Amino acid sequence: MQTVRIKLHPLGKELSVARGSSLIDVLHEFGVEFPCGGKGDCGKCKVKILHGEIPLDKIHSSRLQELGLPGEWRLACMSHVDGDIVLEVGQYEAMIQADESLFSFEPGEGYGVAVDLGTTTLVAQLMDLSTAKVLAVETGLNPQRRWGSDLVSRLEAALTGSKEELTRVIREEIGGMLNRLVAGKEFSVNRVVIVGNSVMHHLFSGSDIRLLSFFPFESPDMGIKHFSAGELDWNIVCNNISFYPCIGSFVGSDILAGIHATGMWRRKEISVLVDLGTNGEIVAGNSDRLLCASTAAGPAFEGARISRGMLATTGAISTVEQVGADISCRVIGNVPAEGICGSGLIDAIAVLLDRGDLGDFGEILSGDPEVILARNVSLTARDIQEFQLAKAAIATGLDIILRKLGVHAEEVARVYIAGAFGNYINLEKMVRTGMMEFAPGHFRKLGNTALMGTKMFLFSGEDATDPILDLTRHVSLESEEDFQDIFVENLTFNRSSS
Amino acid sequence: MNPILLKLGEAVEFGKVDMNSPYPPQMKGQDGADELAGQALKNGVPASDVLTEALVPAMDRVGQKFSENKIFVPQMLMSAKAMSAAMKHLKPFFQSGDVKTKGTFIVGTVKGDLHDIGKNLVAMMVEGGGWNIVDLGVDVNEDQFSQAVSENPGAVVGLSALLTTTMANMEVIVNKIKETHPGTKILVGGAPLNDDFRIRIGADFYSPDPRGAVEYLKELVA
Repeated sequence: MQTVRIKLHPLGKELSVARGSSLIDVLHEFGVEFPCGGKGDCGKCKVKILHGEIPLDKIHSSRLQELGLPGEWRLACMSHVDGDIVLEVGQYEAMIQADESLFSFEPGEGYGVAVDLGTTTLVAQLMDLSTAKVLAVETGLNPQRRWGSDLVSRLEAALTGSKEELTRVIREEIGGMLNRLVAGKEFSVNRVVIVGNSVMHHLFSGSDIRLLSFFPFESPDMGIKHFSAGELDWNIVCNNISFYPCIGSFVGSDILAGIHATGMWRRKEISVLVDLGTNGEIVAGNSDRLLCASTAAGPAFEGARISRGMLATTGAISTVEQVGADISCRVIGNVPAEGICGSGLIDAIAVLLDRGDLGDFGEILSGDPEVILARNVSLTARDIQEFQLAKAAIATGLDIILRKLGVHAEEVARVYIAGAFGNYINLEKMVRTGMMEFAPGHFRKLGNTALMGTKMFLFSGEDATDPILDLTRHVSLESEEDFQDIFVENLTFNRSSS
Repeated sequence: MNPILLKLGEAVEFGKVDMNSPYPPQMKGQDGADELAGQALKNGVPASDVLTEALVPAMDRVGQKFSENKIFVPQMLMSAKAMSAAMKHLKPFFQSGDVKTKGTFIVGTVKGDLHDIGKNLVAMMVEGGGWNIVDLGVDVNEDQFSQAVSENPGAVVGLSALLTTTMANMEVIVNKIKETHPGTKILVGGAPLNDDFRIRIGADFYSPDPRGAVEYLKELVA
């Protein structure tokens, strides 16, 4: 395999990728968002070529012209790399608010770090608080994964003697990321804001997790936690480190940040936010009231429990399409397929349904034990069932929350889709699977709303979360009397055609 | 065999609840388990025959297909729903003693856990196997289980848990029942369990699917 080198400014990152790789794949891993989903419409993923070349095709040049971008600029979503290049990432120069208006910040002083502490993935960005520019990015995987991919496995490990270890490894990992972020910088960090779900909050802080482990899954210890670098055994100098407060049950400050980023809590119209991360959170409502829940739907979308499942990284099938009589797969990084990530799984199911390969209960109609997608990658009957469980969990959560709000799906003005693989998600195909039944035009793909909101938190006081916390209530989905009936109905496909 | 019973068996096997239910698509507009059970009784078929010739074999076929991975939870729940629709017609005959049950099966999801789909499936399958069911619901503690055994002497108990964190509560419940009602048979099930765990907590039987529970109970009274 031929490789080429890419250097990213202002991050100072250097990486080598397969020749012909699409830039969407490369930059996605560094937290760059693609709001229009790679159609070349929004220009938000623009990059400036400082050295080297990215050839232009007709569509690409006309898009650049429409957007008024001069010669050295390219759209990452339409670019492939054929030779060594040095790029400046436009998105790091201006912080964009999620609901498509520019985030108008009050310039602060010094430097801050926003940390999204996910169950599976970790992202930290170093910000210049006077300009709101991103100076450096670090990503990583949560080292607690070796105790299991989902929250309940982590809780179980903590209950059975590994609690201190779980706390130690995550503090150490984030401390390492912070070290790398500030390495060689001549300043110190004034403030670190961390967000994550309630279990991450409790394990990072060393709080008692017992009450989070059993029904009704409510801990008394949900508030903001403050630390100094010394208390966490971190090598940086900073006395203002905080883990933001949880909302309720498993729903934590990552969703708080998401609500903040979307601005849904300020508007009269009804919005929905679905974070397709490990914990599968759903929020719905408006400036009067927000309801939220978590659905444990995520692991299927992040590769766990799917036989050839993997995260949205090199080698993962990210999109699946019907081309003529064949199934065609796109693989991240332009390499042979090794597995399939969440967006690929959604696409595959939609394509198989359209082909008539799957029955209403998800059964493989040919009678084969699996469906082959690409050389080395198949979906088994079990995988399809795992998908059904995940999509039914999301669909049921939405049904119950909207019902509690007294709102019909047609009355929802906007549906924000967040999550690590959100950049790749095909909305029409997702709707086809029945996971969400909103008109495709109402969706906005936002990528990592937790990180976006956390960066915004860096520009205001800790009390910025108060109005959102006051508005937002957690709903225990399984306590609903007809949960099972709704869930079972959502397990099937083709509901509308029946 | 009586053609109505044959049809009833099919309605249960394929999850046709009643005439209006959309599943399965190929049976659209046909009578479902609800109507067919009513018709059978009206035509003078003994209630015990409805149970043993139609419902029990149909649920057995459902259990078989489920253990062979040929059908999945939604189909099974549809079948369970269909059976429950038929059972409504039979209930009066159970109470009058015209239909003899094999025994009483007390079932519940353990303390700290709200997941009841697996528990409901097992309850339906066991009911389809000719047992009287006492369903204690979800988040059931050791005292509630023990109390239910006192009220139903000789009953067999089934414990369900989906979360690894609530599995541990099974041990507490098993200990309590064995202490207050020695000799009571206890079955355990749920996604995170296995037979090693069953042995460790001192329960009598574990099965990865509902069918195993039905088979075990069958042997228990054989």
